[in-house]
Amino acid sequence: MLRTEEITLNMGPQHPSTHGVFHVVLKMDHEVITEARPICGYLHRGIEKLAEARTYTQFIPYTDRLDYLAAMLNNTGYVQAVEKLMEIEVPERAEYIRVICCELSRIASHLIAVGTYSVDIGGITGFMYCLRDRERIMDLFEMVCGSRLTLSYMRIGGVAEDLPDEFIPALCQFLDEMPSRLDEYDGLITGNEIFQARTKHVGLLDPGVAINYGISGPNLRASGVFWDLRKNRPYSVYDRFDFEVPLGKRGDCFDRFTCRIKEMRQSLKIIRQAVEQLPEGPVMAKVPKVLKPPAGDVYHEIEGAKGILGYYVVSDGSNKPYRIHVRRPSFINLGFLNELCKGWKIADVVAILGSLDIVLGEVDC
Amino acid sequence: MFGQGLLKGLQITLQELFTKKVTVQYPEESLPLAPRFHGEFVLDVEQCIACSLCANACPNKVIEIETAKLDKKRVLTGYMMRLQYCLFCGLCVEACNKGAIRFSQKFEMAKYFRDQIPLILYKGEPPVQEEQGNTGITAGEAEGTEV
Ligand code: SF4
Ligand code: SF4
Repeated sequence: MLRTEEITLNMGPQHPSTHGVFHVVLKMDHEVITEARPICGYLHRGIEKLAEARTYTQFIPYTDRLDYLAAMLNNTGYVQAVEKLMEIEVPERAEYIRVICCELSRIASHLIAVGTYSVDIGGITGFMYCLRDRERIMDLFEMVCGSRLTLSYMRIGGVAEDLPDEFIPALCQFLDEMPSRLDEYDGLITGNEIFQARTKHVGLLDPGVAINYGISGPNLRASGVFWDLRKNRPYSVYDRFDFEVPLGKRGDCFDRFTCRIKEMRQSLKIIRQAVEQLPEGPVMAKVPKVLKPPAGDVYHEIEGAKGILGYYVVSDGSNKPYRIHVRRPSFINLGFLNELCKGWKIADVVAILGSLDIVLGEVDC
Repeated sequence: MFGQGLLKGLQITLQELFTKKVTVQYPEESLPLAPRFHGEFVLDVEQCIACSLCANACPNKVIEIETAKLDKKRVLTGYMMRLQYCLFCGLCVEACNKGAIRFSQKFEMAKYFRDQIPLILYKGEPPVQEEQGNTGITAGEAEGTEV
């Protein structure tokens, strides 16, 4: 084939399909990508540094702002890390409430992933349907903690408040209606031939390579690797629920997409079981007013919506953390973007980036 | 058959046409808010004992409390919130033992100018306080918790 002069194209920082302020420098031969260099940092707020000037409790609202689409999961990861450090036993009821809220958060995050992916490929309708249902989850969160997006609901030792009376009936109604909504997405997006033509066999991710690059979450499972911390290394009360881990076969964009839809079904299943088993009791352990964890460090990871979300907390025995580092799955999942895009056409870059489901609040921290 | 998926999609959108609308015409109508909704703050000046617990709980130093000594008692002379820095996390409301600072249901807080943003919840002369219930203890506590 005739080789032409290589051109450089900036995709972003303002580009709707990068889902935030993200910049990819594309080097292209004709329309074929020869290099895709991701540049991040436009949304850097220094959250890890801010933590050092805050008390342990005061850092909770900042974790919301990492992956703002799944704030409950971010809260949970952090408070569980501190609880591990302080050896706090969390009451049963609080654990179950956490599971319910985390799984709702996971569904909300996947709904955005599924919806925006539909937009990226060119189908606006699917996006509207997903947001319609996500709105109901936001309403549920508003009932529980008063906020819709930046929730700050988890506390070290439990949760901020018990569930209000109207929550469980509203949740049950949501659980009843959601499966048919998921069928709608399957009909609208997954079954669409144009969508399939754009995503099947595009952006193949080899399981071995995925593991080597530290890719986690639905992106890894779409390549057929069984790795879900809720199953492989159960934390909280996840070992008490019966659910499956959906896996993909080829590891292409289509598998990454369908994995998320299947995961939403499993999350609904977990929530239903958690509601049935929900015990009575306190929602907060007895913790001192001023938290002073013993000097030392701890690393705790949970299965976030985007992948393995880890918190590394170092304490020097004072009431403020000495250092906090967050293992942000979106950031690490981006590491393979260059290899993934090489050889594909420019339109496929959008499809590949969308299928990775990054959120820039988490990439930049 | 190719195109079946497209027809399925059209069928779904057609069905949706006949279901109840979810859109709300916002300024004219609005949705009911949850009782716990985090809206604008209200301060019950009578209840507030100027202990500064709320200000200390805040991660972003939003709350500024001014106090004065009145017959060995700490009284409130000013309560200001720099709402532009507020995360609406609710830690201040949780910290208040007296239930003096609370969220209201008001969410339309947009302002035209930056200097209008700070929310002044109390400013002025020390309120005349009749009730003498727990002043002795709280005055002592207030000394300890002052920033
Ligand atoms: S914590 Fe409550 S009582 Fe104390 S200063 Fe704040 S609002 Fe007043
Ligand atoms: S809601 Fe949070 S950020 Fe706002 S004043 Fe209260 S503690 Fe501070």
